[in-house]
Amino acid sequence: MIRRTAPTDPGRALADALTAEYAAIYAYGPIGVRLTDSARRDARAAEAAHRTRRDALVLQLTAAGGPVPPDRVGYALPFPVTDRASALRLAVEVEERTAAFWRAALPVTGGADRNRALAALTDCALRATHWRRAAGVTPLTVPFPGRPV
Amino acid sequence: MLRAGALVAVGGAAVPLTGCDLFDRDGPEPPDPLEPLVRESRDLAARYRAAIAADPGLTDRLAPIAEAHTAHADELQRVIGRPAPSGSASPGAPTAPAGRNALLAALRQAERGGRDSAAKACAEAPGERAALLGSIAAARATHLEVLR
Repeated sequence: MIRRTAPTDPGRALADALTAEYAAIYAYGPIGVRLTDSARRDARAAEAAHRTRRDALVLQLTAAGGPVPPDRVGYALPFPVTDRASALRLAVEVEERTAAFWRAALPVTGGADRNRALAALTDCALRATHWRRAAGVTPLTVPFPGRPV
Repeated sequence: MLRAGALVAVGGAAVPLTGCDLFDRDGPEPPDPLEPLVRESRDLAARYRAAIAADPGLTDRLAPIAEAHTAHADELQRVIGRPAPSGSASPGAPTAPAGRNALLAALRQAERGGRDSAAKACAEAPGERAALLGSIAAARATHLEVLR
């Protein structure tokens, strides 16, 4: 899921962000199954937000005429999701990882593209904070959302 | 005559400029556009520390945010590449308003302003600074979430 080399052009950075959105959408399937009530509703809302970003990226990359990476049938999860705790842990990780891809798009974009990347980075950071709170993880925030550790 | 007079006038006015600023390589460098953000980060950190001093029950919630603002200031200063100009230290410790609700409301207001200024700086920055500024804007948005 993680590409370690920083992209050097906007098309590549946004294509990378699209692959991250695909994987995030996939991950929220098993996450949602292990959650109940308001947490499950929040997982559905998060998944819908990632689908919205995915759709916008597919449109944008298609219009630009560059490569549009295809979705895959499945993605390797970093650890098995077997209960509520592991589902919440994965939700935090998915948002942190996706944030990193949008952050990587900032240096190579400008104008409206950069503003969209910042909005996406911020949304991922906010959802990560939300899931940390649900999981009882403290602190609820990190100093540099999306920065590679 | 007119032309010569104008030149003399301009030359006269330019002397002090030339002497201390314009062509003096040892003079002060122009301010870095990130310097206001350094001051803002240090000011936000001080506000959180003052809030914790006024209401220690908020320590667990607010201390990580104070530390994040200090980390932002340090990282911005590192990117600027030179120490903060003398006399630019943040003003005296801000006073926290009385009462937890008023205190949190004041922090929310300051944090919202900080989030917006970091987002603006991110939009205007050269590429090599955009990622750091984006992370700072996103972090400040998450601080607002903690203050809710």
